[in-house]
Amino acid sequence: MALPLLKRAAEDGVTFVLTPKRHASASLGVLPSAPPARMPLRAPGPGEQYRFHVDMGKCIGCKCCVVACNEQNGNPAAINWRRVGEIEGGWYPQTARSYLSMGCNQCLEPTCLSGCPVDAYTKDPATGIVLHSADACIGCQYCTWNCSYGVPQYNPERGVVGKCDMCHSRLGLGQAPACVSACPTGAIQVEIVKIDEWRVAAASRVPAPGVPVADHSISSTRITLPENLPPNSRPVDLVRLTTADPHWPLVVMTVFTQLSVGAFATIWLLQLLGASTRLDVAALTSLLVGALALAASTLHLGRPIYAYRAVKMWKRSWLSREVLLFTAFSAVACLYAGALWTGLPGGTAIGALTVALGLGGVTASAYIYRVPSRPAWNTPFTLVQFNLTAAVLGPLFAAAVGTGDSRWLSVAAATMAGTALVMLALRFFRLSASDSAERQATARLLATTLASRLIVRGVLLALGAIALPLFTGHPAALWVAFALALGAEVLGRYLFFVSAVPTHMAAPYLGNEAA
Amino acid sequence: MSLLKRALGLDTRPERYAYAIDPVMGHTAAGKIPDRWIQTTCGYCSVGCGMFIGVKDGRAVSVRGNPDHPVNAGMLCPKGLSEHETLDAPTRARYPLLRPSTLGHAQGRPEPGRGTPSSGRREPAERRRNRRLERVSWNEAIQTMVGTFRDVREAYGPQAVGIISTGQLVTEEFYTLGKLVQLGLGTANYDGNTTLCMSTAVAGYKRSFGSDGPPGAYEDLERADVILLIGANIADNHPILWQRLGANPGKTLIVADPRVTKTAMLADLHLPLKPRSDLALINGVIRILIENDLIDREYIVAHTSGFEALCESVREYTPERVSDITGLSVELLYRTASLYGNARAAFIGWTMGVNHSTKGTETVNAINNLALITGNIGRSGASPFSITGQCNAMGTREAGFASSLPAYRKFERADDRDELAAIWRVPVDRIPTARGLAYPDIIEAALGGRIRALWVIGTNPIVSFPNLGVLRQALETLDFLVVQDGFHPTPTSEFADLVLPAAIWGEKEGTYTNSERRVSKVNRAVDPPGEARADFDIFLDVAAALGCTEELFPGWTKPEHAFEEWKRVSAGRLCDYSGMSYDALEARGGIQWPYPAGATDAAETRRLYADGRFQTDDGKAHLIPVKWEPFPEPPSEEFPLVLNTGRTVEHWHTRTKTGQVPILERLAPSAWLEMNPRDARALRFKPSHRVDVVSRRGRIRNLALRITEIVAPGQVFVPFHWAEFNANQVTQSAFDPISREPNYKQCAVRVERTAQ
Repeated sequence: MALPLLKRAAEDGVTFVLTPKRHASASLGVLPSAPPARMPLRAPGPGEQYRFHVDMGKCIGCKCCVVACNEQNGNPAAINWRRVGEIEGGWYPQTARSYLSMGCNQCLEPTCLSGCPVDAYTKDPATGIVLHSADACIGCQYCTWNCSYGVPQYNPERGVVGKCDMCHSRLGLGQAPACVSACPTGAIQVEIVKIDEWRVAAASRVPAPGVPVADHSISSTRITLPENLPPNSRPVDLVRLTTADPHWPLVVMTVFTQLSVGAFATIWLLQLLGASTRLDVAALTSLLVGALALAASTLHLGRPIYAYRAVKMWKRSWLSREVLLFTAFSAVACLYAGALWTGLPGGTAIGALTVALGLGGVTASAYIYRVPSRPAWNTPFTLVQFNLTAAVLGPLFAAAVGTGDSRWLSVAAATMAGTALVMLALRFFRLSASDSAERQATARLLATTLASRLIVRGVLLALGAIALPLFTGHPAALWVAFALALGAEVLGRYLFFVSAVPTHMAAPYLGNEAA
Repeated sequence: MSLLKRALGLDTRPERYAYAIDPVMGHTAAGKIPDRWIQTTCGYCSVGCGMFIGVKDGRAVSVRGNPDHPVNAGMLCPKGLSEHETLDAPTRARYPLLRPSTLGHAQGRPEPGRGTPSSGRREPAERRRNRRLERVSWNEAIQTMVGTFRDVREAYGPQAVGIISTGQLVTEEFYTLGKLVQLGLGTANYDGNTTLCMSTAVAGYKRSFGSDGPPGAYEDLERADVILLIGANIADNHPILWQRLGANPGKTLIVADPRVTKTAMLADLHLPLKPRSDLALINGVIRILIENDLIDREYIVAHTSGFEALCESVREYTPERVSDITGLSVELLYRTASLYGNARAAFIGWTMGVNHSTKGTETVNAINNLALITGNIGRSGASPFSITGQCNAMGTREAGFASSLPAYRKFERADDRDELAAIWRVPVDRIPTARGLAYPDIIEAALGGRIRALWVIGTNPIVSFPNLGVLRQALETLDFLVVQDGFHPTPTSEFADLVLPAAIWGEKEGTYTNSERRVSKVNRAVDPPGEARADFDIFLDVAAALGCTEELFPGWTKPEHAFEEWKRVSAGRLCDYSGMSYDALEARGGIQWPYPAGATDAAETRRLYADGRFQTDDGKAHLIPVKWEPFPEPPSEEFPLVLNTGRTVEHWHTRTKTGQVPILERLAPSAWLEMNPRDARALRFKPSHRVDVVSRRGRIRNLALRITEIVAPGQVFVPFHWAEFNANQVTQSAFDPISREPNYKQCAVRVERTAQ
């Protein structure tokens, strides 16, 4: 739809009045509008954009904005594009409770946009509003990880995400956003901000309590803190520990692509070392595993039929790169397997390319999870762990299939598994000792709710990848060892997902909160 | 096919998430755009916000605030903003339901019209409850009900029938019900759930001013220079009043509350007093004001009586003693007194912190004393103001015929009874000379077998009445329980022998009166579900079955007929409606009473007692000496904590309605317990723990624990909305001796970890 009123105001001072007219006479037919102070009287000029101003001193935590937003957008109760968190500090009776109402921050450098593999996001040049297209979206939900504030939310009924767009179309008609109109105390306003000044100031800005420590997105929201905020003020939901979605299709996809890459790397190395037994069988099965893993990954999409769109933004999105690299990996691995099967020349060169693309894919996978909004993922351990999965499962798989010298393969797998166990412990201690509340929370989850699963994961790995292959060479035992190690890695990846505690805006003490 | 399209991602349900432009609401979700807007008044609390219901294809799809309404200027709270969702709730009562009697009626509930009911007790509750309620016709339902009431009346006398009504019908229905009960059924044992809520304010006003009726107006919140809120968390419970208060830039807000509520948080001066020490605080302030001559002697002499006795009574409330009782410093007491005493116009607002108390009425009298001796009444910005909880609690106070005769007439006054008898053309001896049993006394009478049949209308005692165990036993002891409600099952309707499905807000016409005495119109936007009917029609049917239509309701078919008679009944009284009409109410967004015939200034703000003449015999307000006493159940070694109860903004009362609104349930999914970190440390509680609250009477199980500085050490707080975490499992049967309101607020408990 054309939105002529959202064109940028010209520099010669042409403006438009956002405040709707109020028909004085009829009691019906009055636009539900906010007092003028809640809205700017002109559109943003060059170098400017709209932003929300939230006055925590005025907010009484009534959540009218949340209800009005859901009514405005027809969203189900489980999806809240505007949310109200609670912050508490002080000591009785000098207790301070304040509320933070947040929609989308309409960031200067929106990370939802930069990570999106299908270019579903645009930052409207006239208003600075970050818009999302449900038509373009494939429901990969990568933006829900990329946003440090948990703004985009996946709607399973639609298979796409959605987000606050400051009621962009209402602005176009000269109407205030639903949240602004509904606020009984005028705590939410729309303002115009000079982008460059705000960007400079952002460098030294201390985030308000309840707002995640800034990533590189530069939130445009201005927050006025209440007076005399006690120093120990913090979001009340921080004490709550909840596990995240396991994302099973991604557990399967990452573990099995890594298995496939590890297997191809092993095959290629064995080929280089001159082995030749059953290399073709191993390559074909590895290829099959990789292909199935990629197919499984589409189950994670809200709109699997449009999976092909995911390669579009390879220049900036790690998700696009991952899809591209693994697709190329599969194609070249096909050739490699064919070469091994037919014994045609040039096998080692194609093998080298297969392994390089595969490792590239694993690296891209790891970088998908290097997002500031998931501090527990955003460490070098992620890349190390992904590669170790490949390094443990690859040799074990080759050994089980009967390729190469099972003794040496077992030693290799056991060495890698030993490293993986050391890394596991190291990661846990680094998380516990971190300054980040989210990393500490992940460590606490692993030490409490998830402790038994974590122990099982370690024991399975020790049994399957170290004890069994080192002490028996029996072919059937090698398959059992491989199955145990695979189980360990699947469980490990499950723990990777469920123990991720996202950065998020302050939440209520009990209210359900979309991450 | 559509599932497959969705699974593949071809279908993103674009039509369900489409937007469109509504001429009134602007750009909004297409599904929320109605065919027509029906003007009405919100049906939750008594703030009385003006709103519209959007109706599309006979369904309520949206609501919006009325920007021209004098109360809310277009704003609504989160409950109001989602109120249309209550109409479609799956738990709406749709058909009359009757629990079939057992074989032979010797042990069971009496068979209609078949002689006397059993002399013995009702059959055991479990056996009775095993027989499911079955759908019956309206005719059978009404005949059974009236037949059974008749049988009970014949066997035990008319007073063996009790009625517990609500604050949520329209005034026309309250007026009709009052006549039906007192003159038709002939029982005086009729009271409302308003006794659980604001009967204390009523009793306090009557004692001080000679009549019920909050004297001020919401505008006073904008005009006062000092606002003192006592036990009132309006930011949570009346957010739209907070908006009015917020519009007053020059005010000083003082909040007396033991808990750091949202309202206390936002106050200029928070008085974190010990539970139930408000009466001592007010007496202490009065003493300081008298000693420092910060009182209005002219006003006292001209318009009050009893000043000397008051001076005498507050003498013992020295700042030091009051400081001991309240836990507030002497300096803070002086500061409060100085702020209030030096105010040009001072407003005192209160809600349940004052009312839910065995000393409630006297605390209201203390508040009135304070307002009177400083002349803070009947002026712009100056009022002792009770903020009410239900949309039309005021309507039942005015027209209800339960705790007083209609239009604030007094049972004990012969001239009042004569007047009514003349208007109604009934013999004066038909008008009772004293009120019947109050709500808690009806329950006690049911327990003792003196009330045998009970008719519960629009209320949910199983969640709202204190000391659940006793109430449950009382309901199980009854021979016959009728529950008339918009919802079924409710925790209460599950006990019923007969369920009458009623229309609710949005499905019927009439008027509500809000806390500032503003009478507003409510309208029917949609049809009630199934066979549910307006309470007004149900009352007329009961009257027809009783054979008293001709005498009491001649020719009545619609609420306006009741309204017209009510105007005549109220004419010349304090709550004079005689100048109002439905049309004028619609046009004005409500009119404050008194509005006598011939009045033309509908838009003007009205205050009572502006002329200093009160409704007492001598026209003077009574200053009533009152004494502070500690609350009835002090903490002990076994029960060391004081439990406070209250509300949260997302829910309303017993959640019959708000529990059915998904967005409100998401925002406030369960009850919780607030406990100070110091107590939590001593008990080794962690935030993830689930806890039980235990009192001498029972146990609330499996509450989420919130360790917080909102509450003082030694005190805990639980919201009272949830049947699943029913706070009344632990509250006590202690009632204000004057108003009969329960002491919900303070009881001794201990907190334990929930057994896994």
